Amino acid sequence: MLSYRPGETVGHRLDPRSKLLVQFGLAIAVVAYPTVSGLAGATLVGLFALASARLSPLAVLRSYRTVFLVLAFAPLLAGLALGPPWFRVDPALRSLRLVARVVPVLFVSAAYLTTTPVRETRAAVQRLVPGKAGQLLGVGMALVVRLFPVVLGDVREVRDAIRARGGDRRRPWTRARVLTVQSLARTLDRSDGLAVALRARCFAWNPTLPRLAFGRLDYPVLALGVALTLSPVLTLV
Amino acid sequence: MSQQHSTVELVGDETVKQFTMAVLLAALTAALSQVSIPLPGTLPPFSLQPFGMFFAGLLLGPVWGGLALGLFLLVGIAGLPVFSNGNAGLGYVLVGQGTGGFLVGFLVGAIVAGAIVHRGVEPRDLSSVSVPVQVAGLFAAVVVVYAIGVPWLSAVTGLPLPRAAVVMAPYVPLDLLKLGIAVAIVEGGYLARR
Repeated sequence: MLSYRPGETVGHRLDPRSKLLVQFGLAIAVVAYPTVSGLAGATLVGLFALASARLSPLAVLRSYRTVFLVLAFAPLLAGLALGPPWFRVDPALRSLRLVARVVPVLFVSAAYLTTTPVRETRAAVQRLVPGKAGQLLGVGMALVVRLFPVVLGDVREVRDAIRARGGDRRRPWTRARVLTVQSLARTLDRSDGLAVALRARCFAWNPTLPRLAFGRLDYPVLALGVALTLSPVLTLV
Repeated sequence: MSQQHSTVELVGDETVKQFTMAVLLAALTAALSQVSIPLPGTLPPFSLQPFGMFFAGLLLGPVWGGLALGLFLLVGIAGLPVFSNGNAGLGYVLVGQGTGGFLVGFLVGAIVAGAIVHRGVEPRDLSSVSVPVQVAGLFAAVVVVYAIGVPWLSAVTGLPLPRAAVVMAPYVPLDLLKLGIAVAIVEGGYLARR
């Protein structure tokens, strides 16, 4: 799985806000220009992003192999016909072209994941969303990151306990109900504990924010992000 | 590190309660995305992911339920492997296996379910909500998830809309079964102390 790796690459030095904007813009651009030249341009941006993170395209393709395997079925499915000639090439090719757009989007996303620690994304969200909503999203993200492994541990423990008592022989929906009820009960208990802990620590609306600043490198990247995001407007001109 | 020296503005007790529940339900949605129950034959596995959306809407209402699913999406975008099969990233949310629309659908679904069940922004006591209203809220959430997810799947993969609908059709009865289980959990009194 792709995850953050500490490093000194260009990708690591960029501000998370500019990197998020490029990802978002590229996804918009590939929808606006589902042509061969649009695809080639997007792939180039994707390869640039990978190079800036010193990440091999093959490693990314390997990491997302399940995603690509599932997507590979789409052109086959689109080409199937219920009567002769049983398989039509045109819809299959159209689907293949659309599915190919996913590759550069995942390339840029992979570069982001390996160069950005979660706390930087949290800081970016907290700055991008103004006021109390931004504070709650930022603090909430930090807490979910901390609590996800704990809650996942709870759910797996409940599942193992059900199995140990021969629960595998029960009907799937009964197992789903028991697993959900028990996991939910533990989660709500943890929520009560967290509320007490936050109040005890004077949970405030105005804590000190992590530092985040645009560098010289960020400006061309931001410009690219804005251009990509606004690219559908060009189709109207 | 910059410092702020203004007066500390404490968060109210009720807000802390709703906020911590949203945080934990976001973590639970993420945990349930990693667990599924295999079904016999060629049926798709019984994913527990929609329960996160259902309970966010039922327990927290539209605002805090929306925050719970919003946090789930944001930590996934930030890189935590919370989506099914341990996937992460903005790219996965936007395109995924063509299934990105379902992730966004969960967020909108939690808001819609919360708005219908609680008839307002503030969550009310679930024991005062009738079963038909709960069913209507969760059913609307399922409809929203498919209304966003299926056209999104069609747009990403190039499958014609009816064919994309056929691909997703086997999941519909399973989601309705999950809806029934969620309402049974509420009516069974398992959440009574909330």
